[in-house]
Amino acid sequence: MTEYPGEWVSDALLAGDPGDPCLWMGGPLTRGELASLVNARQSLLESAGLRPGGTAAIQLPPSLEFVAVLLAAWRIGAQVSLLDHRLVRREVAGALDRLAPQVLVTAESVATAALAGYAKAVARAESRPDGRAAGTPHVLIQLSSGSTGPSKIIARTAADLLAELGRYAQFEEYPRPGERIVVLASMVHVLGLVGGLLHGLHAGVELVFPDRLTADGIRGAVAAGRRPTMVLGVPFHAELLTTGGAPLPSLRRMVVAGELVRPWLPARFTAAYGVPLGTMYGMTELGVIATDLSGRNAPAVAPAPGMSLRVADGELLVRMPASPYIGLIDGTRWADGWLHTRDAASIDPATGLVTILGRLDSQISVGGLKVDLTEVEQALCALPDVDSAVVTFDAAIEAYLVLRDGGQVSDVESALAEQLSAYKRPRRLLVLNALPRTATGKISRDRAVLRAAFEAPRSERRTP
Amino acid sequence: MTGPGPRRRPPGRSEVIAILAVMGDRVPDEVTEEIGSLEMAWLISQVEERYATTLELDDDALRQMTTVSGAVATIHQMLAGTEDG
Repeated sequence: MTEYPGEWVSDALLAGDPGDPCLWMGGPLTRGELASLVNARQSLLESAGLRPGGTAAIQLPPSLEFVAVLLAAWRIGAQVSLLDHRLVRREVAGALDRLAPQVLVTAESVATAALAGYAKAVARAESRPDGRAAGTPHVLIQLSSGSTGPSKIIARTAADLLAELGRYAQFEEYPRPGERIVVLASMVHVLGLVGGLLHGLHAGVELVFPDRLTADGIRGAVAAGRRPTMVLGVPFHAELLTTGGAPLPSLRRMVVAGELVRPWLPARFTAAYGVPLGTMYGMTELGVIATDLSGRNAPAVAPAPGMSLRVADGELLVRMPASPYIGLIDGTRWADGWLHTRDAASIDPATGLVTILGRLDSQISVGGLKVDLTEVEQALCALPDVDSAVVTFDAAIEAYLVLRDGGQVSDVESALAEQLSAYKRPRRLLVLNALPRTATGKISRDRAVLRAAFEAPRSERRTP
Repeated sequence: MTGPGPRRRPPGRSEVIAILAVMGDRVPDEVTEEIGSLEMAWLISQVEERYATTLELDDDALRQMTTVSGAVATIHQMLAGTEDG
């Protein structure tokens, strides 16, 4: 038992030799230096009124400040909600309405060089008198976009996070004390947060954040250290690295997660660097669920220690004793001790290896960031200039839409920019006279049919 | 800008679009004028690889890189800088 609620932070994350290297963001930082920074941010949060059992929302870009504020809030014993720094004002307002944090931490000043692997931010903590204390024992709250209705509130306890760190510690091929991880995945989301930041702090692994997220910049970050190094990112980053290649003696492997890996990628990566491209499968609700760190089972993954998986009606279910959702009684997502992943999968009965086949709903992934196309479609259809719309995804999010009389595409674009973060917005708005329908009268979602309707002679379409 | 860099003609608009189209297996028609952050990382990495150089882009130059037209002009400027030097 812990003596005070935030003790796990000191014991599991900030313990160790104060002189050991801990983070590299443009320069080295030792564990002792990080601990001092966490102390300072703890004072900042306490001055804003944060107490054990209190609540804080953090909206900071991935930065040293984000790390320090998160650890400080947890050490106080508070429940922390993470808000993506890219959310637009309306999205943040909606999240704050639902979460009602007592303290909101945002960036007072931020210098984010485009393409940098981290930002330089200074935090500001603001007290919110209408905020509510934590109603549950969870320490981490994250919002996920939902296909119907409001987004889900996903909650995890300290014990659950520590259990996930225990899984990482059991992966023989995951970095050990004294080794390095070059972190390309965002620390604000589960892969970069637990698989990168928290594992690094817990296991004594140095975390390196590149100055520049280009192939050259990532290779430079790997080459800057001689100790065994793993690169952690999303499949896009591995594709980026296969554009070239250079001997990287310290590189042991790259591990990617967040979306499906294209079949040709592992072999091409290994040809370029002579080391494996491993994969992990996980969810915000549970963290890492299954892995193939050696790349030997690609595209299949093996369940992580303690994970129990089964497939029902084509959907992958994961054993989870308690629901990860707050305020949601939705039997389609969690029921009877099983989490419904909404991922189609098959399990080899002989080996227990799992192959993920794709999504069963409208969630897609853009560079590892999850976007529900239904949320985009609903935001689009709610605009005054839009009569109807279908949102599709292949290489990018695209919207086919019918405008109301007098509606202008430029007005739709600017109105949408106020509703959705940039990464959720369609890259192209394609205007049609009418949305094509199937034989049964339903609006078609077939990209080929939609594209054909768009490419029909202009005389057959209304000019916007 | 660093590195010796062979003296090659900088990529034109169609080449820049072709580089972007490779990302996500698109046809050139599907490449939009606006360049997202992942596409920018891809484009810069590809150009650096092909021209064996590092494009030292400051914030202003990176802002220019957010459209295809801006990217073509910026890359021309950067690569021409090497040749002049």
